[in-house]
Amino acid sequence: MAGPLFELRDVRYAYHGKYPALRGVSLSIERGTRVALVGANGTGKSTLLAMLDALIFPDGGAVLAMGKELTAELFEDAGFSLEFRRRVGFVFQNPEVQLFCPTVEEDIAFGPLQLGAPVPEIRARLERLSSVFKLSDILGRAPHQLSVGEKRKVTLASVLAIEPEVLLLDEPTAGLDPQTVRDIIAVLLAEHGGGKTIVFATHDLHLVEEFADVVHVMGPEKNLIRSAAPGDILLDQDFLEMNNLVHIHAHRHADMLHIHAHRHSRRGA
Amino acid sequence: MGTRRGRFVERTITGALSFIKESIFADEYASSRGFLQARDPRLKAAAIFALLLAVLLSREIAPIACIYALCLLLAAVSSIGIPYFLKRTWFFVPLFSLCIAAPALFSIFTPGEALISVTIFSFNIAITKQGVAGAGIFFLRILTSVSLCVLLSLTTRHQRLLGALRAFRVPQVFVMTLGMCHRYVYSFIELIQNSHLAIKSRSGGVRSPSMGRRMVAWNISTLWRRSYDLHGRVYQAMISRGYRGEPLSMDDDRVTAADILCLGAAILILAGGIWRARFSS
Repeated sequence: MAGPLFELRDVRYAYHGKYPALRGVSLSIERGTRVALVGANGTGKSTLLAMLDALIFPDGGAVLAMGKELTAELFEDAGFSLEFRRRVGFVFQNPEVQLFCPTVEEDIAFGPLQLGAPVPEIRARLERLSSVFKLSDILGRAPHQLSVGEKRKVTLASVLAIEPEVLLLDEPTAGLDPQTVRDIIAVLLAEHGGGKTIVFATHDLHLVEEFADVVHVMGPEKNLIRSAAPGDILLDQDFLEMNNLVHIHAHRHADMLHIHAHRHSRRGA
Repeated sequence: MGTRRGRFVERTITGALSFIKESIFADEYASSRGFLQARDPRLKAAAIFALLLAVLLSREIAPIACIYALCLLLAAVSSIGIPYFLKRTWFFVPLFSLCIAAPALFSIFTPGEALISVTIFSFNIAITKQGVAGAGIFFLRILTSVSLCVLLSLTTRHQRLLGALRAFRVPQVFVMTLGMCHRYVYSFIELIQNSHLAIKSRSGGVRSPSMGRRMVAWNISTLWRRSYDLHGRVYQAMISRGYRGEPLSMDDDRVTAADILCLGAAILILAGGIWRARFSS
């Protein structure tokens, strides 16, 4: 199908009608790309992802997905709603809200069951994902008993079990230990290799550097202030500093504490 | 001592929360192998309902006591430890009902044949035989009904239980609300526990009853706002994965001969209860 997978045209949104979260955002997302949404806290990244997943709808402007404008009325059509949910998966920032079943196994199976996948097929997906995320030993456990890293893996597995074409990820590596971050990046790379479009919101510029094809930067005015290749943005130190995106590092040289901004460069650059 | 009373408030909050959490999310019993776990959830729910009716219809202690004994037997053969089962079933409701039923023991409320009689300030109070029988039936009826419901919930996975409700044509909105409540209750408990820990970390714990009361008041006032926000996001997370209000489960609900036999036995007990109720009247 020609044209972008998602297109936002001058999208505006305010919580409770009075707290602006997005102010005139326009962007498009191409099929098969890895898109990073970057910005300081409170710039509207999570709202934008929720809108791409049609969990909220714009107050003004339009969101188009797969050529159709997403509206609340459109989602009253059960057929379209089912098809959209099969094609788009969303991993929430807070695993607590996403893990609502009594066991890990039920949480992973929840999506495909609701979306009508046959039980033997669900069992096969469950087996594959438990092996990929090394969850086999905790399938029978209650999600609330898991560590943060395990919860994050289960949330990702629960969305991948749907086998969506598009993965929306809100801060997929936030608060995780380095090994878990590596595990998750490896899975995401494999999923992208399988043709998925991946859109993720993050503050982690390492993730952007390693994983993104395109970066959209959200500004304090809750609008899109720049879209470019990661190399262009990560090398623009002034721009990163102006938008609270620079990691300040402190380390010792001999016995002297040395503090400076952490610089990124595009792979191969 | 104020500190001790303060600790009492703290212990009460944490104890109550962990009990609720354990009670609602004790899914390990539903996952373990046992007699009731192996039963089809729809027929099991129907059989439990028949037994509940039999308990409600019975006007004598003996038949209710027999059904209560059956509950204990079923718990034992369903890998539920009897001490745990007693803790779950005797807590709150039956003990509370015992307090309600206690006045009925006395001749002031239930006149009849005196079993024990005491005189306080020239006022004669007696515990009557009829009072004991009335209060006993009331208490045993509640205890047995609670035990039957706990047996059903302990031995059936949450999703399958909700599925069974839908099989009985319980409206979707009701089942959906129950399903959501299950998740929200847990989230609320987490919120309260975390708030409690946050207060404790900044103040060194609940040092006095007045502080305990203030803490509860803070929790109540913030819980509404936070839970409102949280329930919206949990619902979004469910919608995002295709939730449409129907509880679905991977388990294959197949009716076996043993399921039919169990339901038949429960219906027989109910029929016996109805016959006995008519006969005794």
